[in-house]
Amino acid sequence: MRFVVQWFRRQLGSFPVLLLLTASIVLGTAALTTQPRTTPESEISNRPIQVPDDGFVSSTTCKACHPNEYATWHGSYHRTMTQIATPETVQPDFDDVTVSEVPGRAMHLERRGTEFWAEFDDPGWEGPGTERPRITRQVVMITGSHHQQLYWYATGHDRSLNILPGVFLLDDRRWVSRSAVLLHPPDQSVATFDGHWNAICVACHTTAPKTKFDTPFRSEAIDQQAVATTTAEFGIACEACHGPGEEHVQANRNPAQRYLSHITGKADGLIVQPALLNPQASSQVCGQCHSIWEFYDLEDERIANNSGFPYRPGDELTDTRFIAQPMGAANSATLRTFVEQDPDFVRGSFWSDGMVRVSGREYNGLIDSPCFRDATEPQETLSCFSCHTMHKSPLDNRSIETWAKTHQVASNREGNEACLQCHETVAPNLSQHTNHEVNSAGSSCYNCHMPYTSYGLLKAVRSHTVSSPSVDESITTGRPNACNLCHLDKTLAWTADTLNAWYGQQPPRLTEDEARVAASLLWILKGDAGIRALTAWSLGWKPAQETSGTSWMVPHLSELLNDPYEAVRYIAYRSLRSLPGYAEFDYDYLAQQAERVDKVVPLIQAWRASIVADQRQEAELLIDANGDLQTDVMRRLFDLRDNRRLFLRE
Amino acid sequence: MSNNNDETIGYARKHIRFGWWALLVFLTLGFGLEMLHGFKIRAYLDVSNETRRLMWTLAHAHGSLLSLVHVLFGVCLRVTPELGTRNLRLASWSLVGASFLLPGGFFLGGMFFYSGDPGLGVVLVPVGGTLLGIAVYMIARSTEHLPQTLPAVKQKSKNKRN
Repeated sequence: MRFVVQWFRRQLGSFPVLLLLTASIVLGTAALTTQPRTTPESEISNRPIQVPDDGFVSSTTCKACHPNEYATWHGSYHRTMTQIATPETVQPDFDDVTVSEVPGRAMHLERRGTEFWAEFDDPGWEGPGTERPRITRQVVMITGSHHQQLYWYATGHDRSLNILPGVFLLDDRRWVSRSAVLLHPPDQSVATFDGHWNAICVACHTTAPKTKFDTPFRSEAIDQQAVATTTAEFGIACEACHGPGEEHVQANRNPAQRYLSHITGKADGLIVQPALLNPQASSQVCGQCHSIWEFYDLEDERIANNSGFPYRPGDELTDTRFIAQPMGAANSATLRTFVEQDPDFVRGSFWSDGMVRVSGREYNGLIDSPCFRDATEPQETLSCFSCHTMHKSPLDNRSIETWAKTHQVASNREGNEACLQCHETVAPNLSQHTNHEVNSAGSSCYNCHMPYTSYGLLKAVRSHTVSSPSVDESITTGRPNACNLCHLDKTLAWTADTLNAWYGQQPPRLTEDEARVAASLLWILKGDAGIRALTAWSLGWKPAQETSGTSWMVPHLSELLNDPYEAVRYIAYRSLRSLPGYAEFDYDYLAQQAERVDKVVPLIQAWRASIVADQRQEAELLIDANGDLQTDVMRRLFDLRDNRRLFLRE
Repeated sequence: MSNNNDETIGYARKHIRFGWWALLVFLTLGFGLEMLHGFKIRAYLDVSNETRRLMWTLAHAHGSLLSLVHVLFGVCLRVTPELGTRNLRLASWSLVGASFLLPGGFFLGGMFFYSGDPGLGVVLVPVGGTLLGIAVYMIARSTEHLPQTLPAVKQKSKNKRN
């Protein structure tokens, strides 16, 4: 030791060594101090914060032992469902940008260093006069990263957040109003309120949230409540599905314990493995968010508000949450109460036969499927994991990005393999079962038994209620059937006859229109806004275009370009641009009606003028032998349209 | 003394030879790892193989450095045979053992592994580490016998001048 001290004394006496030491200290200090300082969550007071407590440890702890699982989750949209607003996470330009596509006066965006600020009309203003005062607020959080980003601003009242009036569409790189991304009645404003995020979004867009209003939500005015919302982690992280990890982490700090588990293959039992749960319980892990649920009563809501949501993976979900099933629970007092409070509760989420019609609520579909509901053996019971995987397999050749974008479907479940796990007898005789060529879209189990009859995020989404095509159901519920979502040019009568010939399905009684007019046109002209949106999407669906041809679609999509619902117009425009020769068609779905009409009239005229020899001129497509539209029939059907106001609660 | 000196020189020769050959082996391993990077081999670079990448990198690094330690030890024994006056045999074999077990343990640990944990081959690493510790301790203790000056070298210089 004395030798070391003496050595240092000798060296420090030397000028070059002293200089080198000083330079190192100065450079080291500079490097440390010039790094941007991240404010600790505990010092943040204007937004909800991440506090891993109650046994939660956060995903960063899981990374060391589960690198592949961590990486695949990290690349998924579950992680980025909720993010803090930073230059890395905010996608649009905020640098002195004016956004006019919002209700009232234009919103002005600005950057202040690494902060994002917006000036806009105060949505909560209830004072006199029609002109709302302007407010300037800091944008602190973001929802979404796949199709659109929604922005949350600090209201200035505790940790309460409210939503910016504009939403950024990521594919289109443009701002639109919130109403323009929802299937929402055009003359009705979209609800928003202080504490919106804290009260609603927090439940499913974060991990282990605690709402923490000091009185139950909406029992008192928000500005009179303390709001101390916390969550274990923003986004849907590891512990949302595996439960709190503290005990598991503690036990596995010991390498002997870990290797014992590795060698014996026995889990420590201290953390939930959803894939090892029975199909019902494992699906409930997903169903805690991917369902239409409510608290049973105010008392349950109070408990969740104060101590966090009580459901933990592996628990029975229905012990703490009421899963809405209009048919299964039609006589439920709870459901009746909800319908009394909100008459559109059922219609905004379900078809009239109880099948869920909005996206993101796949658990409701699953539990109504015969493959789940009627199954007796666990290994033959449909569950979310029958098709999806939350962690991409190392053997899967797809990139994490591709896997995430394809709904995290497992690599060997993208085609018919998913269903053939159980329905193995169909495999050798697939063509005989489907009456379509083996490799065609008509031989895809998904296309016939899980058609695109749910709606959300400005597109159609596959139904997760496994069912068989039925014309009768189309007539009684209005829901498009799988056959006519592909054979868009065929009538319901054609489908009924075909199903009868192939499967012995009794044809229902049809009206003259149902017998003579293509089903897709009936849905476009007579259907409610949700049906129109689904049909508009199908007109842009490649398998349907290949099956039905496209030359007849232009005038009918043009009809939807003037639909009163913004979402329908948006989808119709997207489908129109997918038709050959229309990719460059210029149109703005948010423009005033007169401007839209000015675009559509020449579009139809050009289509009429371009009719070629192989143009389909068929009565069921409402195009006569001269190539003219049967406008009288179209007008008559239009007058029969279901114009009931519809807000689909995706 | 002469016998001792011959023995020390023998060990020096052994370590220098071992060191250079081992360095060749581990530089070849490093070249192999570069190739795995260059051709983007998934079995090495995929995030699911992060443990393998770490273990094999550690095998390469430890092997290469230990090879240099062998060369250095051999050179030291040649220059200052006094280093070999105490437990040379134990120190030498411990160093050789460490040079097999440390990189070998890391390599096997990365060959078969469990997600974030290396395979069972990694148990060789602490054994190798212990042997390395023993070798270093022995050599460090032998430094007590080093002379204050280098008489042989000085003598040689004087002779040259004469």
